Amino acid sequence: MDFRPTDQQRMLAAVARDFLDKRWPLAVAQDVARDGRGLPNDVWRELAALGWAGLRVPGDLGGSEASLLDVVLLAEEMGRAAFPARYVTSAVVATAIIAAGTSAQRQRVLPAMSAGDRFATLALAEPDGSGPDGIALTAEVGRTLDGVKRFVLDADAADHVIVAARGGGGVTLVLVDARHPGVGVSSTTTMAGDRLFEVTFAGVPVRADDVIGPAGGGRAILDEALAHGAVARAAEIVGTAQRILDLTVEHAKVRVQSGRPIGAFQAIQHACADLLRDVETARGLVYHAAWRVDAGRDAATAIAMASAYAGTRGLAVARRAHQIFGAMGYSAEHPLHLLHKRIHAASVESDRAAHLDTIARAIGLA
Amino acid sequence: MSIDFALGAEAEAFAAEVRAWLAANPPERFPIDGMDAGYGSGAHSRPFLQALAAQGWISMTWPRAFGGAERAFWTKLVLLEELALAGAPFGPLTGCDQAADAIMARGSERLARELLPRIARGDATFWQGFSEPGAGSDLLGLTTEARRDGDDWVIRGHKIWSSHAGISSYGLVIARTARGASRSDGLSMFVVDSTSPGMEIRPIVSLTGGVYHYEVFLDEVRVPGDFLLGTEHQGFRELLQSLDTDRFWGRFYKAPALRRVLDQLVRHANATSRGGAPLSRDAYVRRTLAELATDIEALRLYFYRIGWMLAEQVPTRYETALGKVFADETGQRVGAFGLELLGPHAALAPDSPWAPLGGAIQHFYLTTMGHTIAGGTSEVLRTTVATRGLELPRDGRGVARGA
Ligand SMILES: Cc1cc2nc3c(=O)[nH]c(=O)nc-3n(C[C@H](O)[C@H](O)[C@H](O)COP(=O)(O)OP(=O)(O)OC[C@H]3O[C@@H](n4cnc5c(N)ncnc54)[C@H](O)[C@@H]3O)c2cc1C
Repeated sequence: MDFRPTDQQRMLAAVARDFLDKRWPLAVAQDVARDGRGLPNDVWRELAALGWAGLRVPGDLGGSEASLLDVVLLAEEMGRAAFPARYVTSAVVATAIIAAGTSAQRQRVLPAMSAGDRFATLALAEPDGSGPDGIALTAEVGRTLDGVKRFVLDADAADHVIVAARGGGGVTLVLVDARHPGVGVSSTTTMAGDRLFEVTFAGVPVRADDVIGPAGGGRAILDEALAHGAVARAAEIVGTAQRILDLTVEHAKVRVQSGRPIGAFQAIQHACADLLRDVETARGLVYHAAWRVDAGRDAATAIAMASAYAGTRGLAVARRAHQIFGAMGYSAEHPLHLLHKRIHAASVESDRAAHLDTIARAIGLA
Repeated sequence: MSIDFALGAEAEAFAAEVRAWLAANPPERFPIDGMDAGYGSGAHSRPFLQALAAQGWISMTWPRAFGGAERAFWTKLVLLEELALAGAPFGPLTGCDQAADAIMARGSERLARELLPRIARGDATFWQGFSEPGAGSDLLGLTTEARRDGDDWVIRGHKIWSSHAGISSYGLVIARTARGASRSDGLSMFVVDSTSPGMEIRPIVSLTGGVYHYEVFLDEVRVPGDFLLGTEHQGFRELLQSLDTDRFWGRFYKAPALRRVLDQLVRHANATSRGGAPLSRDAYVRRTLAELATDIEALRLYFYRIGWMLAEQVPTRYETALGKVFADETGQRVGAFGLELLGPHAALAPDSPWAPLGGAIQHFYLTTMGHTIAGGTSEVLRTTVATRGLELPRDGRGVARGA
């Protein structure tokens, strides 16, 4: 038993803290969220130059084959900085899916993704919002993709779209060139500044060498990639909640009312103690889930727990912090609302009901 | 060095050894002599304590100089976890461990010589005489006094809420020995034989109907000089120093114990139909039990982290306070949902023949009311977390227990 990160991991987190403080301070995060312009290309390239885009890419394809725990430590820092969602979508989920492909597919895409020259997004959710269990768009090899997906992140800037479709008697994952003329995107606004799109596919050919994994056999690949993404997302939530806690405690020390800092009032002290509890216990579940994945242990229950718990506790932290900040937290100028919305956006990705059912089965409920 | 949640081969082998021993010595066969207060350490059973002692498990982590086997820190955690998962009646063990730790850290040569071998054999058990009618959270408001008389000390005073005092061998009694500059100076800790002349130990009936607490009247109780435990007049500071680890050991087994309760609820839900459908298929039941299982797992991992800090001598400032609050409030939610799951049967007394699970859930639920009070209330401990963990300003009005 050991709770100390390795020297390398400590370095990764320290470099991330430093880079994000400089390149992605909360003021910038707020500007970008407000004007909806999305993640600037140069920031993505710089992040790739630091080796982060390729953390989960195999070594022979330009990546560093880092552990999920490494990703978790980085994602915590990104959450702390209110960094956009692209990192987990492209560098964790999409990367894991492509890494399960043929050597030609991996060669074609992963080195460029690792270098930050390209990135990939995922077209999974249907217009009604349903996920892996409700996939409706169909894809059969030799035919064309025709239909609509929603909630596709950064679809206008992405180079590759991984489409989760129904086909071959199961789930078929198709690697689509985002610039194919049959791919159309239309954007919508979001609360947390992520750029989400509706993507329309019209006559996009599905060739055998565009299918990742066996046609009809993509579900296992998708589930594993989403599970790793869920751990990374939960880590982002922990990082964001930690930032909220830090800001709240700082505020409680300097805001004076009735002649004393509000942090001297027990009602405020006790609320802050609960924030600390929520952040620290959520972090434990997230590290544990990542450790199980890395150690090759059965991780399904641990991941479900980490994801479900981080989401609810993260949101509870955000709401309680609003109370402690008073009216200040209501203003657009203050970063609390953005941090809150980022937790919300990250937790929306987690299918809480499905996680709780996984846990219910694991504890032996018939 | 890297984050690693595995206990390691040695600990896992020991866990298997404890499980095998429990299978060969089913805990329910041991006679019970005191109430189960629901913390997870089960009922009070001297015979069970002695059986643990016969395995060498009480003193296994002690230094060799005190008769121990210097086994790794983790073996104790493994032992407590396995005992709690099995629902074993090891109620007095934590008190014995705490007394032994205090004696080894700061006891006289005579205390070590006379008491440690008896503790190791499961012969000596301990109660805590801290609280008084006028001194709860504000322990420094205590009025029990001890005065020197030759080589001895003579104690007069009144203690209350002393758990298992009527069935334990010795009390750890804190009393004022001098009027110091501050209230926290001038207190000393004594090891007091429960059979001493002048002691009157009266049972207090609990909300469960059983007896757990005692009220203790000390009327000119004589204690030998070298039964003063620690430094004269510094008893309160020394108590505060050990409070942190005591809190850890007193709650480490809560997560596995709650897991055991949860497993009982799961089996009940699987086996019980209401309105024609099994409870286990009800979405609300499934989700609530899944959420509680998650909280229990978060609790388990949090205590593992504190255990690692203690083993590595990383200073703990607020972690045990936070962990205790989380443990006890999680336990209250498990108990409350347990009653909800029992439906109309929840209204039955634990000893009713109709009570499901032998009335265990009702009994557990009632005891959880005391957990957030005993050993520092959740309010006092949240203040500790805020002031020590987050460095929020103290309001400066007195030091409450747990601070
Ligand atoms: C199950 C159980 C076992 C126990 N075993 C023992 C034992 O073995 N030996 C022993 O000596 N004692 C024991 N006690 C007593 C225990 O230590 C006290 O109950 C505890 O310290 C609280 O004191 P009190 O009950 O007098 O409550 P009070 O201190 O009167 O508190 C009442 C309420 O006021 C709040 N409060 C008090 N002070 C503050 C403050 N500063 N800030 C905010 N809120 C405050 C409390 O949180 C609580 O909600 C036991 C108690 C229980 C319930």
